[in-house]
Amino acid sequence: MTAMLTEQQFDRIFSNHSPTRDSLIPILQDVQDTMEYLSPEALEAVARYLNLSENDVYGVATFYAQFRFHPPGRHRLKVCLGTACHVRGSGLILEGVSRRLGVVPGETTEDGSFTLERVACFGSCALAPVVVLDDKVYGRMTTRKTQKIIEDTE
Amino acid sequence: MGTISLTIDGQGVEVQEGKTILQASREAGIVIPTICDHKDLNPYGACRMCVVEIEGVRGFPTSCTTPASDGMVVKTQSAELTTLRNRTLELMLSGHPNSCLVCVHREACEKYRPGATKAGRATRCGFCSNREECSLREMALRAGENELGLPTLYSAHNVERSDPFMDRDYNLCILCGRCWRICEKIHGKPAISIINRGKWARLGTAFHKSHVFSGCTFCGSCIDICPTGTLTDRFARWYGKPDDRNLSACTLCAEGCSLFALTKSRRLVATRMTSFQWEASLCALGRFALAQIVNAPERLIRPAVQEGEDQIPCDWDTALELAASELPRFTESLAIVVSESTTREDRFLYARLAERLGASLIVVPSSRNGVEKELQGFTADLEKGRFRAVISGGDFLSAELLKGLNFSVVIDCLPSSGARGAKVVLPAAVLSEVEGTWRNVSGEVKELPAVSLPPGQARPEWQIICQLAQKMGLEGFEFKSAREVTSLVGSDPAPRPFDGEPRRGLRQLPSRFRGHLAADWVRPLEAFGMPSTPLEEMTESSKEGFEILERREVVPNMYFIKIMAPQVAKFAKPGQFVILMARETSERSPFTLVDWNGAEGTISLIIEEVGRSSRELISLPVGARVAHVSGPLGMPLPMEKKGTVVLGGGCYGIGAIYPIARGLREAGNHVIVVIEASSSYLLFMEDELKTVSDELIIATKDGSRGTRGGVQEVFVNLVQRGVDVAMFVAVGCTFMMRMAAEATKPLGIPTLVALNPIMVDGTGMCGACRVSIEGRTRFACVDGPFFDAHGVDWDELFSRRSAYSREEIEAMPQMVDLNALIHPHGSGGGCGSSCSHR
Ligand code: SF4
Ligand code: SF4
Ligand code: SF4
Ligand code: FES
Ligand code: FES
Repeated sequence: MTAMLTEQQFDRIFSNHSPTRDSLIPILQDVQDTMEYLSPEALEAVARYLNLSENDVYGVATFYAQFRFHPPGRHRLKVCLGTACHVRGSGLILEGVSRRLGVVPGETTEDGSFTLERVACFGSCALAPVVVLDDKVYGRMTTRKTQKIIEDTE
Repeated sequence: MGTISLTIDGQGVEVQEGKTILQASREAGIVIPTICDHKDLNPYGACRMCVVEIEGVRGFPTSCTTPASDGMVVKTQSAELTTLRNRTLELMLSGHPNSCLVCVHREACEKYRPGATKAGRATRCGFCSNREECSLREMALRAGENELGLPTLYSAHNVERSDPFMDRDYNLCILCGRCWRICEKIHGKPAISIINRGKWARLGTAFHKSHVFSGCTFCGSCIDICPTGTLTDRFARWYGKPDDRNLSACTLCAEGCSLFALTKSRRLVATRMTSFQWEASLCALGRFALAQIVNAPERLIRPAVQEGEDQIPCDWDTALELAASELPRFTESLAIVVSESTTREDRFLYARLAERLGASLIVVPSSRNGVEKELQGFTADLEKGRFRAVISGGDFLSAELLKGLNFSVVIDCLPSSGARGAKVVLPAAVLSEVEGTWRNVSGEVKELPAVSLPPGQARPEWQIICQLAQKMGLEGFEFKSAREVTSLVGSDPAPRPFDGEPRRGLRQLPSRFRGHLAADWVRPLEAFGMPSTPLEEMTESSKEGFEILERREVVPNMYFIKIMAPQVAKFAKPGQFVILMARETSERSPFTLVDWNGAEGTISLIIEEVGRSSRELISLPVGARVAHVSGPLGMPLPMEKKGTVVLGGGCYGIGAIYPIARGLREAGNHVIVVIEASSSYLLFMEDELKTVSDELIIATKDGSRGTRGGVQEVFVNLVQRGVDVAMFVAVGCTFMMRMAAEATKPLGIPTLVALNPIMVDGTGMCGACRVSIEGRTRFACVDGPFFDAHGVDWDELFSRRSAYSREEIEAMPQMVDLNALIHPHGSGGGCGSSCSHR
């Protein structure tokens, strides 16, 4: 995985979008599709193309759960914050895990083992609250049980 | 555009079309509470404090975003609006430390502690440097609600201190967005933005990088517009609210930007932009460095003359007379070098002096390369022997050059290696200390009022020259003030332009002031790549000292620290304390022992971050060594059987009462432990205290757990419950102990308090810890720390504790660790633990 796209890759992405603020999200999506995450260098290039401040672009990007800012870790831990999971306390799970791993959603732990993500709904509402580790779905989770699967994975 | 008329609170109001309801109300003198709105910002509509009722309109629109229209009937006050606003406020406060706002002891507490405590994170108003100027606090107090219906959520962000000049404590941020909006308004592309969302939303830069790399120009507007204590000026923050503000100008480069000089008790605490506009913006030097240059602790404060190899301080007359007797001998071989940053009046008088003596005058511009260029020819002349004497108004010539001359006078504000070669050194008042005028590069003449007092005996240069000239018997120097000179200056040339745009880029700042490298005196400037003289390596002895075995922040600002100190551990008794010095050069500070283990040779302490010494200690990592640990000190508390004893602990005192509880319980007492904190999230050591007490009672100021209030309320409850208290021991801040003493006094219950005034040597020698007990002077370090609470002269204690506050503020570190600045492309991918959220 590269920290940067080539000029050609950027040109290809930019050529599909006009340099206006409205294109920001679609461009970021394209960049992430190509490089799996949004690196500082890539954000800088996008900001330059749209003549925006990088801080502004980063602010917008961090508002959306879909964007990642670090190369994905070896494991992806997703906590569902959909309505059903949320009312059953998934917020607390996310907070606990975030504290445990020392990262906020969207980040990867320093040792590169976990990327923490929040997702809107897995469609497994019957099992709420739901946590997905890599591709395995765990239902009726608690903070403690989530900590446990992290430990087992480590 | 036409005018429209509307009715606000029954009052007819005429405004221009296009104004918002809020603007219309303001014009009519009607006050609507606001937080996110600011007169220099576009409406944002985020806080919802400014809601109003409009006839015929459903709901409660925000007045800051709703345009006024003709015939509108608006109500800004109603029972519903008040409820709505209070609820909004409550929501805002639930995410913001609020215990001081709802505390029943607030007024008494603020009377005894008028200034904020210099804590690490602000966990309450009492720890917030913005307390005197906070809009949120003002609004909350005005609303007068002291019950909060919502739980307090403390977000536990680390204070961001790695950038030059700014401290940012996002635990206080209410996301009003004023900061990034003003940044965007002034600079076009904001250097900060709201990042993350929901619970994690906060202000920040892309990828958490340092402001040094985020496009920030350090104009300080975000700090100045923030309604809370989140964003602060590290140097100015603890001085409290300035008591005067004067229009002045920066003379550090040819731009000569206008600024407001903010002073407190005639001391310059900060300089600010005169309005929130790009045109009025200041560079990092004008906004942050100027006050630090003026306040540099190294400032020259006394005249000195050379005797042999040394410079001996002397009085003004001696120094001036020596100069006056020597200088006239040189005439044509005399050169006078002055900086362009001096006032027009100063330069006029320097020029007149040069003319009368037949000397050459060299005016040095304040530009990055100007100094060297300007002086090249001159130093070459000096080396050739063209001049034999010099008057130098700054750090322009080396000591060797000066020593090679027959005579030299340095008139300057800061020491320099060059000045060490001078025959006479005269201390000058500078910048905000000097009255006069200044012409900038565009020819404008700006007024410079004298708003702060010069240090020691320093005098303004116009005065020094007049006195010198008069002593030489020259005429035309009989001026009583700089004002008398102004009209004579006439059409002086504008300064030569500065080769850079300081206000646009951190890499384009003027690097010198009167020949000195600015970064030598204001070290944080090094972060912008400004040149400086390397500091002598701090010799940190890593092998000697007392090793730190454990260190953790148990609750915000409160650190548990375990140190290897066998001699202390062997002899420690309950109630004793130690004196620590983080480094050889640190201040000595006392800490009560929380626990010790003679066999292991370890001691444990709770250290609260409240100022420089404690910050140094808590910053040491596990494995590092504390330079000195002396103790155990003080008289142990006798562990006798008394019956039922009540122990009260607050803040660090929660830890300090632990060994006392254990000892008294072992001695057969019934031990009731009462601990107090502002809010539930600040309580600690509960489990440990349960094991050494018969009963543990909790009190919080905001009522979030246990009894609402402090130790004193719990005590009164206990007595009402019929508990027969034989003795009461209180350890905590002075205010808490005083309150406890006042509660037990009428009941005649023997009460002991641990007095913790400033101690220096801890052996009864220095007298710094003097306290009055029943009219007798005692020393807390040897006679204490425990004293009969009812005999203490509390008022004297409070005044002694505040006697050092100015020095304590000055001691707050301003340096930044250049390696800690987060670079945009720094450590690659994961930022992991370096992120501010934990
Ligand atoms: S100091 Fe000025 S440039 Fe820097 S973030 Fe604040 S407002 Fe923006
Ligand atoms: S830092 Fe200050 S100005 Fe900025 S959003 Fe927070 S409270 Fe408002
Ligand atoms: S640009 Fe900076 S150094 Fe120059 S006058 Fe303005 S504030 Fe002072
Ligand atoms: S002042 Fe109107 S919404 Fe904040
Ligand atoms: S600390 Fe100096 S006399 Fe007590």
